[in-house]
Amino acid sequence: MDAISLENVTKSYDGVTAVTDVSLRVREGAILGLLGPNGAGKTSTIRMVMNILVPDEGKICIFGKPVSQETRQSIGYLPEERGLYPRMEVRAVIVFLAALRGLSQADAERRANEWLKRLELSDWADRKVRDLSKGMQQKVQFIAATLHQPKIMILDEPFSGLDPVNAAMVKDIMLEMRDRGSTIVLSTHLMEQVERMCDSICLIDKGHKVLDGDLRAIKQSYGKNTVRIEFSGPDTFLAHPGVASVNRFGSGVEAKLKPGADAQEILKAALQAGARIDRFELLEPSLNDIFIEKTGHA
Amino acid sequence: MRNIGLIIKREYLTAVKTKAFVITTILVPLVGIGFFLMILFLVNHQPSRTFRLAIVDNAGGLGTSIAQGLDAKLPNGQPEFTVLKTIERPPSLDRVQDELRSQINSGSLDAYLLVPADLDQSVQLHTRNPGDFALQGPLTAALNHAIILNRLNARGIHVDDASDITRGADLELIKITKSGETVEKGQSVGIAIALVLLLYMSLLIYGIIMMRSVLEEKTTRTMEVLISSVRPFDLLAGKILGVAATAFTQLLIWIVSLLLLLSYGAAMAGTMGPDSPFAGVHIPASLIAYAVIFFVGGYFLYSAMFAAIGAACSSEHDAQQLQWLAMAPLVFTMCIYSLVLSDPSSTMSIVLSEIPFFAPVLMPLRISLQTPAFWQIGLSIVLLFSTTVAAIYASAKVYRIGVLMYGKRPTLPELARWLRYT
Repeated sequence: MDAISLENVTKSYDGVTAVTDVSLRVREGAILGLLGPNGAGKTSTIRMVMNILVPDEGKICIFGKPVSQETRQSIGYLPEERGLYPRMEVRAVIVFLAALRGLSQADAERRANEWLKRLELSDWADRKVRDLSKGMQQKVQFIAATLHQPKIMILDEPFSGLDPVNAAMVKDIMLEMRDRGSTIVLSTHLMEQVERMCDSICLIDKGHKVLDGDLRAIKQSYGKNTVRIEFSGPDTFLAHPGVASVNRFGSGVEAKLKPGADAQEILKAALQAGARIDRFELLEPSLNDIFIEKTGHA
Repeated sequence: MRNIGLIIKREYLTAVKTKAFVITTILVPLVGIGFFLMILFLVNHQPSRTFRLAIVDNAGGLGTSIAQGLDAKLPNGQPEFTVLKTIERPPSLDRVQDELRSQINSGSLDAYLLVPADLDQSVQLHTRNPGDFALQGPLTAALNHAIILNRLNARGIHVDDASDITRGADLELIKITKSGETVEKGQSVGIAIALVLLLYMSLLIYGIIMMRSVLEEKTTRTMEVLISSVRPFDLLAGKILGVAATAFTQLLIWIVSLLLLLSYGAAMAGTMGPDSPFAGVHIPASLIAYAVIFFVGGYFLYSAMFAAIGAACSSEHDAQQLQWLAMAPLVFTMCIYSLVLSDPSSTMSIVLSEIPFFAPVLMPLRISLQTPAFWQIGLSIVLLFSTTVAAIYASAKVYRIGVLMYGKRPTLPELARWLRYT
């Protein structure tokens, strides 16, 4: 059964359409990456799934049931903007939110302490939320959304404000939750995180769904149309007619090929130009490339 | 129900632990006691100095009888007035006045009385401190006494003790209540005004605390997280009851300290005699019971309104503009309560005290002054509580829709969809 399903969902505010005719299915136990440029309609979509906004048209179901107060309560939600009482102590706010989710006081406190320790916040447990840095507040918010082991988690920009160490910590926890059977919807701008974690993606642009499906299948459908070349010497061969675009890195380049172009021709041209080739590898396109191609902007 | 309990607990503990709560809870009674002691001090330390007076008598023959009439004694046994000199029909009035003025300015004299030759004109008191109203009573009495004696003499009537004849009646106010009569020295009005202020301030302050609390959840977006665990109605109910618990804690502390103060006052009254401001201060239990009933009804009515305003706004700024909707009836109550105070049984007072928005303040005021017919109190309570239930119901609707609306206010079709959907 699908954990989440959207059928032809449309939402507009005062004549401006935020989401147009979006249909989407999220398999139980999968991690879905919800991608799109700023203002694409990601947060509106999430809020409709959370039953915070009501769609103008279409139907949204959670485990086959239309969204309602009950479905809302089965979801762990990390909103894009931080939502914690600034004047409450960190532990108290976590225990309060967990107790509202049905955990007993003792259970909530035990788990809160475990999680605070795991996310290295134990020293801050009795401080007020407003005394914490943005990244620390983000971790507290993350604990509050996951503490009660929800069947579905919707995380809107969970990595914002986190340094790489903390981002990795949060990522590991999300993978653990997935392995225990939770379904996760992840909205983010960080393509690398999505590429490493997500089983499937949904790309939204200007309120329309542009692309969705299994991440591996999507990449394969693009074929190995990118060549990674590390070399020394002249780079004149990159002007070869078979090359569509070039992305330069410190150590080399990634050349995207025109449809039908043969990578061997590029290699030949490079050798003829007198370049020394250290590495020449055919690649699937990165999610970043697909994103840029589909939306026209990064 | 469990969630409502959790929300009440959080609301209460968070509010009670704030510095603002602790400070206002302690400071308000302290400031009250401070004012009270200051008034007590001022009342008990009225001038203990003899007032030095000169009399310029242009009519002639009045000086002695005026001086006789000024026989009041200060609490320390000294005479209240002393007439340093009496000048009868001075040849040069201007020179005498100049001389007296310089004595007053040098501090050797406090004032002089100027009695005109024609007694139909007014007598003048020349003094540096015309604000000393306490002197007016005894001086007027002495003057009246002297002039009446003078007129009696002019008509050939001679009496040995004129003051026995001219002594007026004392008017004593007795307040009639169901349980009997008490001597009125202004304490009923004092209690009534204190009651009005207490009810008005509490309704206003806790209403605004309620609004702020809702607004905080909106502006910090805590609402989005809460609403995924709690039904909006439970959240609203929990908040109203939580703030109510806070309010009752604070009021209980204040009322207990007030009662301690009053019993201290009663003890003081025992030592000060029947003239003390505490003599006869008695708050009937029925008044306290009614005040509590009307406060509870009024609190729920107004906090529901303030909560709805908090939910409909997205910022403190918006809320400050909209909060007048809920504040207006309270402020209006404060503008008209004196009409009820002066005539608690007039038709207008009866009608005003039946209107649910004014009843929480005006009905306890009427009860404290002059207990109205029971049907009036009963009707007022019924009207108040039914309006309160309706207000909570309407507020819950606005709340459910408003709490998650940011930016502009929602359009009507959007509101209608919300009502249908959830």
